[in-house]
Amino acid sequence: MNDKLKETFHWIRADEVLKNNTRVFLARKTKGYTKAHTINYKYFVSAAACLIFLLFGGHWLYFTPTAQISIDINPSLELGVNRFDRVISVTGYNDDGLDLADALDIKFTGYTEAVNQILESETVAALLSDDELVTITVIGKDGAQSSKILSDMKSCTEHHQNAHCYFAHSDEVAEAHETGLSYGKYKALLKIQELDPSVTSDEIRDMTMKEIQDLIDSLLSGNKNETQQNTEDVQEHHDKGHGYRHGMNEKKNNISTQSKYH
Amino acid sequence: MRSEQEVNRAIERYSDTIQRLCIIHLKNRADTEDIFQTVFLKYALSSVLFENDEHEKAWFIRVTINACKDLLKSFFRTRMVSLEEILEQPAALPPDNRDILEAVLSLPQKYREVIYLHYYEGYTAPEISSILGKNVNTIYTLLTRSRQMLREKLGGDGYE
Repeated sequence: MNDKLKETFHWIRADEVLKNNTRVFLARKTKGYTKAHTINYKYFVSAAACLIFLLFGGHWLYFTPTAQISIDINPSLELGVNRFDRVISVTGYNDDGLDLADALDIKFTGYTEAVNQILESETVAALLSDDELVTITVIGKDGAQSSKILSDMKSCTEHHQNAHCYFAHSDEVAEAHETGLSYGKYKALLKIQELDPSVTSDEIRDMTMKEIQDLIDSLLSGNKNETQQNTEDVQEHHDKGHGYRHGMNEKKNNISTQSKYH
Repeated sequence: MRSEQEVNRAIERYSDTIQRLCIIHLKNRADTEDIFQTVFLKYALSSVLFENDEHEKAWFIRVTINACKDLLKSFFRTRMVSLEEILEQPAALPPDNRDILEAVLSLPQKYREVIYLHYYEGYTAPEISSILGKNVNTIYTLLTRSRQMLREKLGGDGYE
């Protein structure tokens, strides 16, 4: 069988056409035997496309803020928080805010830790011990993340008497940023402008929240003296207002009471 | 990269071996051409240094078998070819040899490979095991079974 098998296989030969086709193919593929390696662009392009998709997709996932935390005392800061609850941007909205943003290293930390660091920082701690007001506004879409951040902020600030936390929908924030104010101060500005339309954003930008509150108080008491009707209108507006305004009213009353003793 | 002379020498020397391995793996003419191009391009671009001619030949056999298997596995290239079509290829094959080739090609692929490597190329079971990456005992078993199967198909007499 060995010989027969050998003989049979021996009959099978590659023909010259096949060999020549192979030679032509090799000469073309190696560009006349000068090309060291042929790069398979098909795989290269697919790999590059995947890489770009991953990079941009990952960048978009991580660096798109899904919520913002606006902190106003006098330093006005806004923290951008991504879907992974990490702080991805720290923006100062006045000079003190910019200084504080530079001094802190809170980027890419969890938002609770970031807010704690801000509240414990020398500047803010000094202001708080001086009875200044802290307004923390959680800005985002209605959703689980915003509710969670708001409840975390409330627990974060529960041992600070002068701190107040509110929620605002992200649609409202664009207008605030157009005026160059953080959201907390923008809401206060709106309230002041209801009482005195001549006050501008530049005037309150560098005021502390307490000073703003005092201004609101003085405007309110001024208006009260003018006409009873005006006060009623404002009061009616307050009653319709959100938590923010209720908070401010409570604070206002506290401060009014305190100022009587001074 | 190898020179054109080296590649041409290899084409002259190993084309027949590759053609036989292609027949063993049931390839049609177009697929055979694909295998030739794949194997010789790999040779042209590789910088493997061969210790001797035997080493080089074993390299060609291994690369060809792998290329054939890859082509068979390929989803877009599963083209079955009838036995008759294959048998037409070696045109002037005498009737006796034609029967033997038909019997060999009717065996499953794992038997065809060892029959060719053992009976034609003269490799021993340990050598075949290293070429195919299989256990030596598996090769012995495959050889014994393939011999029995061929004997049954070809009538037994004169085939040990």
